[in-house]
Amino acid sequence: MTVSFDLLAMQMLTGIALGAIYALLAIGLSLIFGMLTVVNFAHGAFFMVGAMLGVYFFTLTGNFWFSLLLVPLITGGIGLVTERFLVRPLYGRGIDYPLLLTFGLSYIMIEAMRVVFGVEGIPSSTPDLLRGSVDLGFGGFPLYRLFLIVVTGAIILGLWLFLEKTRFGLIIRAGSRDPEIVKILGVDVAKVWLIVFGIGTAIAGLSGILASPTRSVNPEMGVAILAESFVVTVVGGMGSLMGAVVAGLLVGVVYSLTSLFAPALAELSIFVLMAVVLLFRPQGFFGKAGLMS
Amino acid sequence: MTTPSMPILRAVGVTQRFGKFTALKNINVSFERNKLTAIIGPNGAGKSTFFNVISGAFPPTEGQIFYNGQEITGLKQHEFARIGISKSFQITNVFKDLSAHENVRVAHQMRISRYNILTPRSSLRALHEQADELLAKVGLSAVAGKRASELAHGQQRALEIAMALASTPDLLLLDEPTAGMSPEETVFMMDLIHRLSQERTVILVEHKMKLVMGICEHLIVLHHGEFLAQGNPEEIRNNSEVRRVYLGQN
Amino acid sequence: MKELYIQLSRHRVLAVTAVLLLFPWVMPYEALAVNILIFGLFAVGYNLLFGYTGLLSFGHAAFFGIGSYFTGMSIVYLAMPWYLAIVVGVLASLVGGLLIGFLAIRTRGIYFAMVTLALGQIVYYAFYKADKWTGGENGLRGVKVAQIDIFGIQINFVDPITKYYVLLVFVVIALWFVSRVLASPFGAVIEAIRENEKRAAACGFDVMRTKLLAFVISAGICGLAGCLRALHLSIVPVDSLHYLQSGQVVMMSLLGGMGTFFGPFVGAGVLLYLEDVITTLTKHWMAIVGAIFVCFVLFFPKGIWGTILHRTERRLSITAHEELR
Repeated sequence: MTVSFDLLAMQMLTGIALGAIYALLAIGLSLIFGMLTVVNFAHGAFFMVGAMLGVYFFTLTGNFWFSLLLVPLITGGIGLVTERFLVRPLYGRGIDYPLLLTFGLSYIMIEAMRVVFGVEGIPSSTPDLLRGSVDLGFGGFPLYRLFLIVVTGAIILGLWLFLEKTRFGLIIRAGSRDPEIVKILGVDVAKVWLIVFGIGTAIAGLSGILASPTRSVNPEMGVAILAESFVVTVVGGMGSLMGAVVAGLLVGVVYSLTSLFAPALAELSIFVLMAVVLLFRPQGFFGKAGLMS
Repeated sequence: MTTPSMPILRAVGVTQRFGKFTALKNINVSFERNKLTAIIGPNGAGKSTFFNVISGAFPPTEGQIFYNGQEITGLKQHEFARIGISKSFQITNVFKDLSAHENVRVAHQMRISRYNILTPRSSLRALHEQADELLAKVGLSAVAGKRASELAHGQQRALEIAMALASTPDLLLLDEPTAGMSPEETVFMMDLIHRLSQERTVILVEHKMKLVMGICEHLIVLHHGEFLAQGNPEEIRNNSEVRRVYLGQN
Repeated sequence: MKELYIQLSRHRVLAVTAVLLLFPWVMPYEALAVNILIFGLFAVGYNLLFGYTGLLSFGHAAFFGIGSYFTGMSIVYLAMPWYLAIVVGVLASLVGGLLIGFLAIRTRGIYFAMVTLALGQIVYYAFYKADKWTGGENGLRGVKVAQIDIFGIQINFVDPITKYYVLLVFVVIALWFVSRVLASPFGAVIEAIRENEKRAAACGFDVMRTKLLAFVISAGICGLAGCLRALHLSIVPVDSLHYLQSGQVVMMSLLGGMGTFFGPFVGAGVLLYLEDVITTLTKHWMAIVGAIFVCFVLFFPKGIWGTILHRTERRLSITAHEELR
């Protein structure tokens, strides 16, 4: 099979669109982990809930933008409740417990969505405004995917500004590096952790609704994506936002290109990528050696 | 090959940086064999960081450490114990759910068996007996069966010392061994340390000046991460630099 | 009373064997008993790493599955006798354990669950895609062992009761081995690492190497459970390798009691029995499992058997565990 440059470029761009979603997911995971030292095993479930509720509200109201705003608020709210009543009692017990709890929670969330929406899932559609394709010189690229790339870029930029320029962002950055210092400075750590967890799950839900037009939306869609977001996190380095973005894009592109050249190996390829990174650089590309031992 | 006059431990050009902060600046210091040496200095002098470097918690950003003339910079923590350097931690670090006896037994097991997966350890009589001896040495025979978390603070610190001794070290490193102890416990501990120093080299980190002046043979003073002075207690007491640095802290 | 407890602890393999001998007669049907036996062994192997060494792996289904597939493939494609097929399966899972363990243990402890989950998925996708040999999403079929030959005696393997007792032989041997490992000097080191890794290193134990050895042994036991499962089901479902299967054994371990010898069987028994009962009442089994697990994580982290042991030991004033060995 001869591969034209056009085809390659298209596939790369598709990979970047996929990678954008991965990057967002990894950022959410990383925020929660960096601040609370909790690996959110329900992250995929929050993604799924975001996608399903997103499609539901979009179908109901016909307004994609409204759904885009509403869904992260809902998943963020579920996150707040989760942290406050389920995760908080576990602090001080050992780092595995919140992880286990979120895993059990994911079961409940998946089944809940099955109950509400049925096991088949719901058909998703692209908003009218973003349908069709754009001629980029090397072919027609779906407009929605272009929108995805731009919007995720904007969200990530917004998050970066939030972290770098606001007082709360400073607390998050300081707290990720040394939780003790934050406590000494008189900050209400419990409230910060609550909010950060909520932000993380809100981002997961947002990724879900953004991804919904590009994949089949069903209660199981979060299962594989959890594993994939772990790959991104390990490759990029946990606790690093830059790492989440770079690794997310890399993983997306690797998946996309492998789909072109060796489709049967596409899923496998990103996990093998992670294994290779583990072999040569266990802390990930941008992993900080000093963050938690 | 070690000669009696060769320092047991030597730090050469040791510098430690944490990001932009320099905790230790070019420290060059030797520790003599079979002496009881204390590393002292005001708060923030870098004592604990230096202790961590020479005890193998992490390698220095720059510089080297020599043990009996051999370079040991960058060796892993467990390798330090195997070559004969043993440590106790500033914040008591024992196996909380095991009994005192079990704690020492596990520590001593390093010298006897690490990967044996089939022999029941209850049959290793020598291990049991040596653990009992070590507990007796630090005065904990009476509480051998008690869970470590239920021991008094001073007893836990003594337990740590027993565990450090269990790996039959030539060099014993103690990080603020009397931290948090009552006056009686402190007296007991200093007496124990003095006895231990007769049989091996002991290096302590301490900030209670009265204690170290009483029993230590050699003192090394750090200040702001740098080497300030060294000598016996008399010399240090009369050292004007040291007095200036400790102004008001005596 | 205390003496009885200590004696039972010292002879735990015998005690558990006695329970397992009687087990099929208290279960509603035999196939459930076989299932609980197999998953109990899976959980025992996993518990060695999770409960005793303190490493939360989310990829152990890989070894369970490797054992199943290699045993199955040896029988289907190489017409190997069943007992050799088991050896192949266990060896394969040991190798898998070495490879995955080597990669996973190098990372900082907190990543361990994520890394093992992702590495396990490599195995899942590899077997899924190699459908020419593994049957892909339909699984491996035709692992037929209807009659087995033990020292010239023909045994009908299809009868569930007979099957149970044949498999029990392997389980008891594995239990004896695990018990020896736990009672050995190595067993003390892995528990020390779980309790206080920094302290264990300061005492002179090579933490990484010890963890790797524990990982490999654990993988082998889980692989054996997989081999037995292949013989039991006559098929190997591809989901045996998925991380949700890993999650199930994690749940069994916690529910039963991490770091206890009999806990894994209790966990497997309770989870599988409940699943059997509840799926007849409702199809929303997953939510109920999730909710039960969440409750245990929050309120009963010691698990059923762990809580029972803890309370009993308190009442009998047993403080140090060494007298129980």
